[in-house]
Amino acid sequence: MRRRTLALGLVGAVLLAAGCSGQGGTSTDSTAGGSTSALILGQTDIPSTFDIQGYASGTKTQYFTAVYDTLLRQDGTGKIVPGLATEWSYDDSRTVLTLTLHDGITFTDGAAFDAAAVVANIDHFRQSSTPDLSNAAYVAGETVVDPTHVQITLSQPDPMMLNWLTQPLGYMSSPDSWDNPDVATNPVGTGPYVLDTSATVVGSTYAFKKNPTYWDTSYTVYDTLTMNYYADQTALLNALQGGQVDAASCSNYSALSQVQSAGYDVNTSQLDWQGLMLLDRDGAIDPALADVRVRQAINYAIDKAGILTAILLDHGTVTSQIFGPSTAGYVKELDSAYGYDPAKAKELLAAAGHANGLTLTLPSTAAINSSLLTTIQQQLADVGITVNYTDVGTNFISDLMGAKYSASWMQLATSSDWQTATFAITKDALFNPFKTERPEVDALLTTIQSGTDEAAGAAAQELNRYIVEEAWFAPFYFVDNIYVSKPAVKVTMAADMVIPYMYLIQPKA
Amino acid sequence: MVNFLVRRLLTGIAMLIVISTLAFSLLYLTGTDIARNLLGDNASVQAVELRAHQLGLDQPLISRYLDWLGGAVHGDLGKSWFGGSPVLDLLVSRLGVTLSLVVISTIISAVIATGLGVWAAVRRGAVDRVVQILSLGGAAIPNYLIALGLVTLFAINLAWFAPTGYTRPTASLGGWVASITLPVVALTIGCIAGTAQQIRSAMIDALRQDYVRTLRSRGLSERSVVYKHVLRNAAGPGLSVLALQFVGLLGGAVIIEQMFAVPGLGSLSVSSTIQGDIPVIMGVVVIVAVIVIGVNLLIDVAQGWLNPKARVS
Repeated sequence: MRRRTLALGLVGAVLLAAGCSGQGGTSTDSTAGGSTSALILGQTDIPSTFDIQGYASGTKTQYFTAVYDTLLRQDGTGKIVPGLATEWSYDDSRTVLTLTLHDGITFTDGAAFDAAAVVANIDHFRQSSTPDLSNAAYVAGETVVDPTHVQITLSQPDPMMLNWLTQPLGYMSSPDSWDNPDVATNPVGTGPYVLDTSATVVGSTYAFKKNPTYWDTSYTVYDTLTMNYYADQTALLNALQGGQVDAASCSNYSALSQVQSAGYDVNTSQLDWQGLMLLDRDGAIDPALADVRVRQAINYAIDKAGILTAILLDHGTVTSQIFGPSTAGYVKELDSAYGYDPAKAKELLAAAGHANGLTLTLPSTAAINSSLLTTIQQQLADVGITVNYTDVGTNFISDLMGAKYSASWMQLATSSDWQTATFAITKDALFNPFKTERPEVDALLTTIQSGTDEAAGAAAQELNRYIVEEAWFAPFYFVDNIYVSKPAVKVTMAADMVIPYMYLIQPKA
Repeated sequence: MVNFLVRRLLTGIAMLIVISTLAFSLLYLTGTDIARNLLGDNASVQAVELRAHQLGLDQPLISRYLDWLGGAVHGDLGKSWFGGSPVLDLLVSRLGVTLSLVVISTIISAVIATGLGVWAAVRRGAVDRVVQILSLGGAAIPNYLIALGLVTLFAINLAWFAPTGYTRPTASLGGWVASITLPVVALTIGCIAGTAQQIRSAMIDALRQDYVRTLRSRGLSERSVVYKHVLRNAAGPGLSVLALQFVGLLGGAVIIEQMFAVPGLGSLSVSSTIQGDIPVIMGVVVIVAVIVIGVNLLIDVAQGWLNPKARVS
């Protein structure tokens, strides 16, 4: 008995010693001094499928840009740069886009990448029901000109077209792979990495190896790439504090100081604005909102800086406009168009005939910070506007689109002028449910859609000024989007994507 | 004993059918448009209808269930709706991870809880009170808080272990031990607390029996009395509570696997639930049910072996 106890004790001691010395099995050696041997990324999402007909953007972007090249790429400022296509040009009507392709590139299964493959890919994408299908909303057809030239015909000019080709519409996978039974789990592209299916645990850890025949020598590809999925924010924070990942998205502002203390650099971009959408500008269900003075009063009633500090711990920039800082339509002085001025708000409400106050009904959902909703309610009450919230649960978006509410809290992307317009300003915009339309707005939208880059930029700024003056919205702030990285890794934030594309993550020189 | 085993086995199979029927019905009768969820808001009505047809969602629920059951009986649990991997392959790749956590936690808990329970029952007094206080504390603190404390102290501050991740034993035995140490400790503490209390109570009851006095009067050593006779009589309730704790550990593993980013059944069930991957969810339900029923069967057999009277109950 005593001997058995001793043996058990010895086994325990050995295991404990093995445990203390075996940490290297789970922790990761950081890429020291910009080493190119290994890169480990923390992820907060997993790909449902590697088939490009599936959902492939947003927080899933890095999985896809690891294995698939895009026809075009963008630098950190949002400028379009060559990808698989070296040159591109529009015709005068801006409805025919001609792309010149790199010659001599092959997919990892040996199939040639050429104009026929591009046409097949875009067609494959358009036939799908991917949530990214809006990328191809204006694509009317694709034509092979010759093996290195392809033409994409649009039903109407799409100022976002070049951006879409840096995103899922631009992913190029081998057409020969689409009939493979493992198409969803074994992607075949021309990209910098190849998925190592034997070392991958689907839904947990995705292992990649450098594509030995990668064509693009203009940027560095790591020998191995690992993406670890953290479903739990606490687990991701622990992994960061333990130095287990080289880079990851970090949406937990309150933990950012801990992450910085662990030696990570903070990379920031601003892709979204948050605030109130004042939708019923013609007073269809809420006549009070038809008066611009009421809409302006709402803008003046909100202490944006106070809310930014309280809710987002100052991780954002106070603004009164919805055109993002990286867009041509952004006008810096409009950030301070509406300061916090409750007295002015009351004055405007009185002038609009609402000296005794008015009532608004806004939708709420569990996904929206309840303290934020309470603060908005309180600050509007201070100027005489009573806010009643209706919990709409998971019907939040559908109810908004169904024009059931005259105003609502919202977070919207604003990484290009046309995206901003088609999300919230055009007559058929997703978030213009009451179909607000003004002739001066239409004229500017036409220029933004069809004009030259310079004319479109100027029109976007003019439209921005009009929208702010007319108080179509009551924006609070642009939100910081944060991606942390170890000093050995150089991260360039994407201007239009929540996490950097793989080619924007490099060893530091 | 054979009759007893056959009876228990048949009960287990019946329970498995009931559980799978309930789970299948609940998952499909939620009223959500499954095909629409899978394809997203942009999908056309035709695409959604086609997908629904491909998945057999246009068939009556009973025929869908019988199809699934027919496959399951032959070891075919269908394919994941996301990624197309066979569900059984996914389960097999994750099962070992969860079982290693839960089984090791159970064994460690059984050994330590037995030691503490016996020590408290035999020594009583201050030792008993200390064990009771520790048990109460261990049972009261949720395992995710324990996990958080362990990670902060041993992984982040002391850097003795990695805060997240899992190393397969085939890749590195030392790495595997390191990667499961903190999750196992987090799971074990509550389990020890509950089991030690039960064993202590059962031991105290057993030590008061007449036969103990008789054994002592015959001159048997105290060690022989306690460990050979009393503990065997007290083991029944301990085993029962250990079985319950095992089931609890399976549930606890869901949270712990998430916190430590361990690729087990728990994290698979969470990710498949988020995605709405019903075949995988069903697979997890079935495999967990089989494990729970199997463990209960083993406990029944052990109880029967320890106490023949239990076989007729």
